Amino acid sequence: MTDTTSSVRMITGTRLYLYVSLSLVAMLVLLPLVTTALGGFKSLGDLRVNPFGLPSEWLWSNYLDILFGDRYWRQMLNSLFIATVTVVLTVIVSAMAAFTFAHVKFFGANQLLNYFLIGLMFPAATAILPLFIRIRDLGLLDTYWGVILPQVAFGLGMSILLFRNYFRNLPEELFQAAFVDGCGYIRFFWHISMPLSRPIVSTVGIITFVHSWNSYILPLIMLNTEEKYPWPLGIMVYRGEFGTDWQLVLAFITLTILPTVIVFFLAQKHIIAGLTAGAVKS
Amino acid sequence: MASVELRDIRKSYGVLEVIHGVSLSIGEGEFIALVGPSGCGKSTLLRMIAGLEDITDGEVLIGGKVVNPLTPRERNIAMVFQSYALYPHMTVAENMGFNLKLSGLPKSEIDKRVGEAARMLALTELLDRKPSQLSGGQRQRVAMGRAIVRDPAVFLFDEPLSNLDAKLRVQMRTEIKALHQKVATTSIYVTHDQIEAMTLADRIVVLNGGRVEQVGTPLELYRTPANLFVAGFIGSPAMNVLDGTVEAADGEPAVRLRDGSAIRIAPERKVRLGQAVRIGLRPEHFVAGDKGNAIVGRTLLVEPTGAQTHVLFEFAGEQITAVVDGDHPARHGTLFKAAMDRSQVYVFDRQSGAAL
Repeated sequence: MTDTTSSVRMITGTRLYLYVSLSLVAMLVLLPLVTTALGGFKSLGDLRVNPFGLPSEWLWSNYLDILFGDRYWRQMLNSLFIATVTVVLTVIVSAMAAFTFAHVKFFGANQLLNYFLIGLMFPAATAILPLFIRIRDLGLLDTYWGVILPQVAFGLGMSILLFRNYFRNLPEELFQAAFVDGCGYIRFFWHISMPLSRPIVSTVGIITFVHSWNSYILPLIMLNTEEKYPWPLGIMVYRGEFGTDWQLVLAFITLTILPTVIVFFLAQKHIIAGLTAGAVKS
Repeated sequence: MASVELRDIRKSYGVLEVIHGVSLSIGEGEFIALVGPSGCGKSTLLRMIAGLEDITDGEVLIGGKVVNPLTPRERNIAMVFQSYALYPHMTVAENMGFNLKLSGLPKSEIDKRVGEAARMLALTELLDRKPSQLSGGQRQRVAMGRAIVRDPAVFLFDEPLSNLDAKLRVQMRTEIKALHQKVATTSIYVTHDQIEAMTLADRIVVLNGGRVEQVGTPLELYRTPANLFVAGFIGSPAMNVLDGTVEAADGEPAVRLRDGSAIRIAPERKVRLGQAVRIGLRPEHFVAGDKGNAIVGRTLLVEPTGAQTHVLFEFAGEQITAVVDGDHPARHGTLFKAAMDRSQVYVFDRQSGAAL
């Protein structure tokens, strides 16, 4: 009886600690988001005297002006194009490379894999100068490809690791059955591995998409024409133009965050599952 | 349908040799079972025949043609795996027709052959289902269907029933036997279950430590095991083994056991006086009572199985199992008397294990 009571007390205590700490973390994340979204509904005066509270008057026009202008949609299409092409290329290239690392034994395979994985340690920003020179030499400055190709290259390390672990966990007998059925490596990849890899394709796709969507440094360095700017750069330009009208800047930021938040809520299961699956290099 | 021949097959992993020169001839349409304990190399041997494992040395011939350099597909074999290995994203029909699709056969021909195999295996109603919607037995039938539609030269079975429960295993065993009688394709069946091997195979190959111990029909292996390993492996419950020395009792050969008691053996056994031997007594050869080669011991355990009763009793310092009639009134702690005809006492050389 005493044991039961103390264990119940312990569970309640643990739960309470969990709820309090999670609530604190949630507040830390939500406060800036909510403040930004509410700020977009305020007038500049209201924002100055009451930065965290509810708007005294809800000014929908701040949002509507942005939504009915062409800048917001143009930049969204730019972001969408860059992110989509990055995702497609990353998934295709990394899946094929990971399949090779998972199933084909060849001299130097481990060294080559480690070479790819080293990429995990270097964000694009650390190599920005040589990248700029290479992209300039390739004649890709101020083109979408100048942003897409480096993004794909820097995404390969993580994506190959995730795909490789997934492919290695597919049952060996499946591979043998397909081999007996007449598949070679390429047919097994297209007919068996890829159709069975939808969860990991979603994970890699979402992670790459979000990463590309939020990318700021690469577009900043590689793109010069404002018509080609994706959202993160667009926000900076918008802030430059409307630097004093913070309520408009906040509304613009809110509208650019919104799609990412929606996508994350729809796909969080895949993102979390994929991240755990790739946690260990086996 | 084709013959299969193995010529001095060897397999090494680095310096470690695991298959030590296996030679075997399998006739057209024959059903061969490879049996042996875990790690004896039976699955490795099967996978070498399939082309899934490299052959270190020796030759595999299918239909009289050396197939060592050929891929599994080029060898024209079909394999049924222990875990079924069905493609989870394909329907039953797609699973069965996948090989034909890769071969470039027209859809009408694929549908026809899949339909025929499905009828043969009672899978027609399940053709549109995915493997996850099937029971274990149904999955195993699909795996067999996938093998049948190809009309291969040889069927290879790698412990196909070991994931099924006992009842289903018996049912599927019957189905495999019926299927083989229908299609008569040369089949090589790997199992560690000697009952499966005995009931299914035309001939059994007993493997131990990467070597063939004996090849023969199920009854040959049961009645005239070549050595102690085969004798102990074939038969259920396993043969009782007792150490002794050959002596003469009343002018006839007998084996004197450790406790001083003597068991008479058949005069045609090739033994010599004073030879250290092991005798083998099959549990089902005991007859309750004390006529002939009688032994007596205290009953340790009684296991009624219905038609028969297994009695575990102590004799000559060993635990002996006897299988007697189900009505036998054996009770724990009482004296159990059983006898065995001397012609049914197996004798093995204690050092080499060879049958004498």
